[in-house]
Amino acid sequence: MIQLSYLDYIAVERKSFLHRLSPKLKIIGMVFVLLGIVTLRNLPGLLPLYGILLALFFLSRTPTKIFFLTLYPLVFAVLFISISGFQIHFILLIFLKVLCGSTGVVLLLATTPYPSIFSVLGRVLPSSFVTALFLTYRSIFILLNILEETQHALYLRGGFQWRHPWRSLINISNAFGHLIIKGIDASEKMYESMVLRGFKNKIYYRGD
Amino acid sequence: MSHIHLPDGILPVWLWVLGFIVAIMVGTILLRLIKKEELTKRLPLLGMMAAVMVLGAAVEIVPIAYHVNLTVISGILLGPSLIFLATFIVNLILALFGHGGITVIGLNTLTLSIEGVLGYFLFRLFWKIFKRLTPATFLATFIALLFSTFAMIGVVSLGTSHYEKLIHQEGKGIFEFHLSGEKDDHHEGEAKESEVNLKRFMAIILSLGFMGWMLEGVITALICRYIYRLRPDLLHLEKVTL
Repeated sequence: MIQLSYLDYIAVERKSFLHRLSPKLKIIGMVFVLLGIVTLRNLPGLLPLYGILLALFFLSRTPTKIFFLTLYPLVFAVLFISISGFQIHFILLIFLKVLCGSTGVVLLLATTPYPSIFSVLGRVLPSSFVTALFLTYRSIFILLNILEETQHALYLRGGFQWRHPWRSLINISNAFGHLIIKGIDASEKMYESMVLRGFKNKIYYRGD
Repeated sequence: MSHIHLPDGILPVWLWVLGFIVAIMVGTILLRLIKKEELTKRLPLLGMMAAVMVLGAAVEIVPIAYHVNLTVISGILLGPSLIFLATFIVNLILALFGHGGITVIGLNTLTLSIEGVLGYFLFRLFWKIFKRLTPATFLATFIALLFSTFAMIGVVSLGTSHYEKLIHQEGKGIFEFHLSGEKDDHHEGEAKESEVNLKRFMAIILSLGFMGWMLEGVITALICRYIYRLRPDLLHLEKVTL
């Protein structure tokens, strides 16, 4: 999640053909990828799809550092494959479906700034929902800054020590509590400033 | 643990489509019940709590593949109506990072909101009984997580016949698309094998989950205690004993 800000940065700063492509087209593309994942039930079908996504990933000059984000969901897939009796075909099928989905969404986020994605979603979803989505995304960045400061403060005070698990648990919980209180304070200030700027249940994007 | 970490294309189409339909229906009803002014005023708080849940989900406790959801504490602070919308948003954002498939957003919202809504009501109930913050929060979190995990296992078990098809798919055609949940004839042995496997899945989830529920129960109780010390107004409680 810490890489979220970096992901957002490369979505705005990089200039590949995928970055220049309309967000609407990229979202439609993502829908097709999902359709492929849902309907393709065999390795020969999924392998070319993953190949295409990988090719697009590297052609869009997305940093390799981001590629590791696409592998993260495999951690949870391991839990699910226990259902199959660990059959190799099923494991590969699940892993490929996971990788196709995660590569597709990471590629979308790495090449499309989030306001553009929300702007497209705003045409089909209720405005309150899209506003809440936008505010959540904004809040993640606010909280990440607070989290960084809190983490530094905790480390400096010896907050996490495996030798003292109970004390560490209290410190981690207090850090989350601190994060929540600071977050709520920030949300109150954010609401006041939004009202001052004429906010009425809808956020307008450039071009609206 | 109640978050369904399934990728797209694993659950049968009828199941995740139904999940979306029910989630959208519940969301629409709840949005209609909240006054527009109240919703506008609380949107930044909703966004902030959803962001807290997203960050909580990003902190992975690797040995037991568990992450805290913080849905119960968010439910206590937001109330039962807004927590539903918050879980919908959290699941959408998590899905955008490959944390659970996009098609399972509806089902994930339903199972995760069970945690938030149940946690809110259980917290109020236990607080009335015990008049003590820590046991009320711990028990509310533990029971809410227990229920939502069983809801998640229930959802996963609904697709059993579909997983069997996927397991025995090797060598068959590339495409297959079923909207209905029709049942094929299976050999007795295969059915038995699938039953055994689901039991194994349940055993793993419940044993890891138990540790997770305990851990999240303690963390939520400690967070609640911390919040009460600094901002008791947020919990809307009177005369609390820690």
